Amino acid sequence: MFLEESRLRDSVKGGALTEVTFFILLSLYTPNHGYGIMKFIEEKTQGRLVLGAGSLYGAINTLQERSWITPLDDGKGRKKEYVITKTGKEMADIEIKRLKNLISIAEEIMGGQV
Amino acid sequence: MKKYCRFFGCFLDAQENWLNKMAQKGYRLIRTGKMTYDFEKCKPGEYQYAIEFVAQQSFKSEKEYRTFLEALGYKVFYKNINLNFSIGKIKWRPYGRGMGQISTNPGSYNKELFIVEKKNDGKPFNLHTMNCDKANYYKPLRNAWLTIAAISLAFAVWFYIDTNSISKEVITLIILSLLCSIPMLKYQKRISYFSVQSNTEE
Repeated sequence: MFLEESRLRDSVKGGALTEVTFFILLSLYTPNHGYGIMKFIEEKTQGRLVLGAGSLYGAINTLQERSWITPLDDGKGRKKEYVITKTGKEMADIEIKRLKNLISIAEEIMGGQV
Repeated sequence: MKKYCRFFGCFLDAQENWLNKMAQKGYRLIRTGKMTYDFEKCKPGEYQYAIEFVAQQSFKSEKEYRTFLEALGYKVFYKNINLNFSIGKIKWRPYGRGMGQISTNPGSYNKELFIVEKKNDGKPFNLHTMNCDKANYYKPLRNAWLTIAAISLAFAVWFYIDTNSISKEVITLIILSLLCSIPMLKYQKRISYFSVQSNTEE
């Protein structure tokens, strides 16, 4: 009856990822659990980006549906661990290319002002 | 232990504020009843509370979410949003998603809310931090109110056509529908606000 929109606003075609998505992917290059992902994001951004538990839960589920990340075991243990998939790594590569391109355009225009 | 008798019903913000105020005074929630809250002494401000409406989810996904929150070190309490004293019952929630439409007892019945407790680490406690996610957080709440408002309005129209007069029932139903529109519009306003925010940020 009420369609649920995807919780993460990534424009999948253009390759632009939200900051949250990108950080979650980065935190999962080594297997990590929910609390670890939260701490990773907080540490790497020096507390600028804080992710609430509900938001993180939604993001993990969305990324799992897209098969960018996958749970490690069958989730029997209390702390479920996740890891990035091949597709997830490809998405991160595309994002790096897009960001590098964006920076080079910005530097071209703004010159040495930065 | 201290027992408090309170009923907040659908006023989630008020309930959250009250629990946080109690925690600041040095009371920690240990049990929830239909209309009661049991507290034990703790250091003032040791814990923080947040409330989430989960009735639109199926019992299974609700449990998965609960497990996830508990793995983060939070404590989760169930709380009822309305008063029902019945055993062995099935309830239809037209606003639910998939299996979340059917609520049974034992099951998700009378467990419409999560009260989530976190040890205070000096930072604000929010379960939802992204704008698009905040908008999604208020949608089930709006839909629940929208459903009641729409159903009572539909009944009012039906009675009116049936009897061809504006009877007491028709007026009562219209008033009920209007009353339900107030929280619905309140949540709609928040949804719109966060949707616009998420279009410009993130």
